[in-house]
Amino acid sequence: MAENQALSDVMSRRGFLKWALGFSVVATVAGAIVPVIGYLWPPAQRVTASGDRVLFGSTKDLPVGQAKVLPVNDKPVIVVNSAAGGVKAFSAICTHLGCVVEWNSSKQYIVCPCHDGRFNPTTGAVISGPPPSPLPPVRVAVENDQIYVGGA
Amino acid sequence: MQKATPLLPLGWINRLIDWIDVRIGIRQIVAYSLHVSIPRSAHTFYLGGITLFFFIVQAITGILLALYYHPTPEAAYDSILFIMNDVNFGWLIRSIHSWSANLMIVFCVLHLLRVAIQGAYRPPREMTWLVGVGLLLITLGFGFTGYLLPWDERAFWATTVGTQIAGAVPLIGNYIQDFLRGGPDLSALTLSRFFDVHVLVLPASIIGALLLHILFIHQQGLADPEERED
Repeated sequence: MAENQALSDVMSRRGFLKWALGFSVVATVAGAIVPVIGYLWPPAQRVTASGDRVLFGSTKDLPVGQAKVLPVNDKPVIVVNSAAGGVKAFSAICTHLGCVVEWNSSKQYIVCPCHDGRFNPTTGAVISGPPPSPLPPVRVAVENDQIYVGGA
Repeated sequence: MQKATPLLPLGWINRLIDWIDVRIGIRQIVAYSLHVSIPRSAHTFYLGGITLFFFIVQAITGILLALYYHPTPEAAYDSILFIMNDVNFGWLIRSIHSWSANLMIVFCVLHLLRVAIQGAYRPPREMTWLVGVGLLLITLGFGFTGYLLPWDERAFWATTVGTQIAGAVPLIGNYIQDFLRGGPDLSALTLSRFFDVHVLVLPASIIGALLLHILFIHQQGLADPEERED
């Protein structure tokens, strides 16, 4: 037929199959290479917990003797309102093996649930247990009754 | 025979290969490397090839992971989080490395079972079998050392238990355990040791053993499962 004749002038069956095979090979190779090149490309640096200043909450929700863990710029931060030291904030990542620490309200110290590492709620210093170093402090500010965490 | 029309104008590649071929006979080397005699009755001879494929995947993704991984207790887990959350396609590369590691061991064992069931280890192929068992042990060593590298709770305790198993060996168990850990307890020294073995010692060993394994196969051809010993 005339129509088919015209088509086969443009590309033979063999030519089409070769083209399709070549395209499949190129597409497959590209599918493997694109992620690798993306991986090698320098990644964007994420803002750390000390980066942006974030509204953590109100002092009404954090009476004396209580503490709260919330994510601040994608990192867990514990804000403690202790009788001895007032409002303090620390990184909530245990310096031992990276578990998220908790507040022990009856004993009034920060404790890591994984290996019972205990931290002072005023200074972040290690009281007992396996942690090798204190919890790093995070900047905290109380304005009116609002608690702000992070920032320079 | 009909002359194949090239898909792309790649004549210069042929001229380059000719240039090399005249000097070192590259075509003969490639032909030797690619052609293995395979019996017609072979239906399960792809298991070793699949294992080799997973090894190549492991080599490439492992080299990529080493770009961002830090082998110290302070930084190891953070660098894993960095790879998973911040590096482009980092989650993909690490997940492929993890999955392919498991699949490599699975196909290694299937390959071994196939060879055992079909009796392909029989003379004259005992050396291929022995090197193959060495390859399995190296692969398991990769798994054991790689498991500690994320330095999370699971890695830490798995390696604690794993090295304690070595400690159960009579008489010399404690020495083996201390040797594996680089001290009486898991520490920064353990992580350094496992990292060193995972990225330097075992890759060098497996490449040597793999080349031997494949050389033997090329020298002998594959065993015919329908051939009967009399």
